[in-house]
Amino acid sequence: MSTLIELSGVSRIYTRGGETVRALDNASLSIEEGGFYAFMGPSGSGKTTLLNLVGGLDRPDQGTVVVGGSSIDAMSGAELAHWRAENVGFVFQGFNLIPVLTARENVELPLLLSPLSRKERREHARNALELVDLTDRADHRPSQLSGGQQQRAAIARAIVSDPRLILADEPTGDLDRASADGVLDLLAKLNRTLGKTILMVTHDPRAADHAGFTVHLDKGRLESVDEKVAAAGA
Amino acid sequence: MPLRLIFRNLLKHKLRFVLTVAALGMAVFLVCVLRSLVVALDAGVRAAKSDRLVVQSAVSLFVDLPLSYETKIGSVDGVRTLTQFKYFGGTYQEEPGYFAQFGVDAGRLLEIYDEMEIVDGSQEEFARHRTHCLIGKVLAEGRGWKVGQRVPLVSDMFPRADGGPWEFTVAGIYRSRSSTVDESTLFFHFDYLFESVESGSAEGPNGAGVYAVLLEPGADPVAVMRDIDAMFQNGPQRVQTTTEAEFNAQFVTMMGNVPFFLSMIGGGVLAAILLAVVNTMMLAGREQTRDAGVLKSLGFTDGAVSGVLLTQSLIVCLLGGLLGVAAALAVSEPLAAVLGPNVAGFALTSEVILQALLISLALGLLAGLGPAVRARRLEVVEALRAEV
Repeated sequence: MSTLIELSGVSRIYTRGGETVRALDNASLSIEEGGFYAFMGPSGSGKTTLLNLVGGLDRPDQGTVVVGGSSIDAMSGAELAHWRAENVGFVFQGFNLIPVLTARENVELPLLLSPLSRKERREHARNALELVDLTDRADHRPSQLSGGQQQRAAIARAIVSDPRLILADEPTGDLDRASADGVLDLLAKLNRTLGKTILMVTHDPRAADHAGFTVHLDKGRLESVDEKVAAAGA
Repeated sequence: MPLRLIFRNLLKHKLRFVLTVAALGMAVFLVCVLRSLVVALDAGVRAAKSDRLVVQSAVSLFVDLPLSYETKIGSVDGVRTLTQFKYFGGTYQEEPGYFAQFGVDAGRLLEIYDEMEIVDGSQEEFARHRTHCLIGKVLAEGRGWKVGQRVPLVSDMFPRADGGPWEFTVAGIYRSRSSTVDESTLFFHFDYLFESVESGSAEGPNGAGVYAVLLEPGADPVAVMRDIDAMFQNGPQRVQTTTEAEFNAQFVTMMGNVPFFLSMIGGGVLAAILLAVVNTMMLAGREQTRDAGVLKSLGFTDGAVSGVLLTQSLIVCLLGGLLGVAAALAVSEPLAAVLGPNVAGFALTSEVILQALLISLALGLLAGLGPAVRARRLEVVEALRAEV
């Protein structure tokens, strides 16, 4: 496997209430393309900060973030937006579906940035919803869906534009066990069958079991990267 | 631009949407009506001809000028012809609805006011018969008067000795190609009035109210005004000569600068509605903070995300504007009928409609600017954390 993401000496420093917090401290990490990575650590360890930096939602104060050969920390805002549209799909803990749109319309949303026709967009959205087994709820709004269904719709939205990288921030945090297992199985399937590189932040060791690699962080520092050979090859 | 998202966001709070559009519609309706009033009041000023002057008493418009001035003014270099304008102040059979009547030089009126065109009857008939008159098209249609119609008028200014009414016969109906002459006026022979007063068959002031002067082509109005004023500098009655535009403007300001007050009211209404719409759009912007973050995370640019909010504001304000214009169009004719000759020429013009729609768009831009700029500046991470 080739390296998809390279973080070198990355630091992210926040100032809150006059106090300086090093959310991420001199982190260096290589992520292989096609890998499924779980990021674990206590609250405030820098997991989400790292995920946001890799996804171009935030910028490092020090160091470089290279994804697929592109140094995203040097991109302008518009370039970064364009890059995100093409390369990254996000799955959030709170689902973050647009409440006034149906599941299908939410899934179609990223495709508005593509040159696809309306018919093609519909086709792509239908395929993505089929993949997450949500076709029968396509015309329901988020408020009419269960948590697990909302998260599956969010996953469909994340994969609809066929990005190389899926970033999931506590995707099972708001779900019951059964729904969480369904979402984790789905992520594993995307990794296994479609070769998507998945970075998942989680507190849950059972969720991390689905990943091939577990990255441990503490107080903004990378502690270790463990590879689970059996899970990665499954 | 995710148009579906824009429309769904607008309709998310239907009552708020309807109330905002209705409030905007009411404001734009008021602006349309007030602006139309201002336009109607100013129409005579804007349409005034540069080759016409008006000579009036330097003391007051309500002080008559001696009839002997006619020949003297006519002799000034640059003056082509002139006519008296004598206000009659008559009423028709105690019917409600005022219309103006003026005694004029019947042979010269249409030469001086060439925007008047006879559409029924004839100028010759009018000039030939001392008791005949011309009436405007609006007056004729409003009262159902036709050529040959007898119009008895009673005037408190010029009561007849026999106690009866003045009898006029309609010789012609005119229309006007300009707002300098309204179509609700009755013009009759000044000589009829003058001779009646002279002979004692009627009472009243026997002078000319004002003189309307038509200049020779190429004559310098400033020089003519100066010469006329200088001619009567030492009396017996000093005069003030003005351009037709200045004279017409006098009438507007006599009402206490009504256009200014109307404009102030319109401006106040717009300012109030702007504040209300800004508040609504700011609220909508705050509610959509997380959505803005989601859109940015999906790859929508800062400009596109701010465009979503700005477009919502523009749509709301444009809908309100269209509603207001539609309402104003619907009441335009009935309102013109109510206002009557007091505000002759009241109508919702395409210019006013365009102004109203541009104002609506400007309101939309101003109201949407704050939320749009805020959305543009939002950091994705912060926006996604927003509590909605």
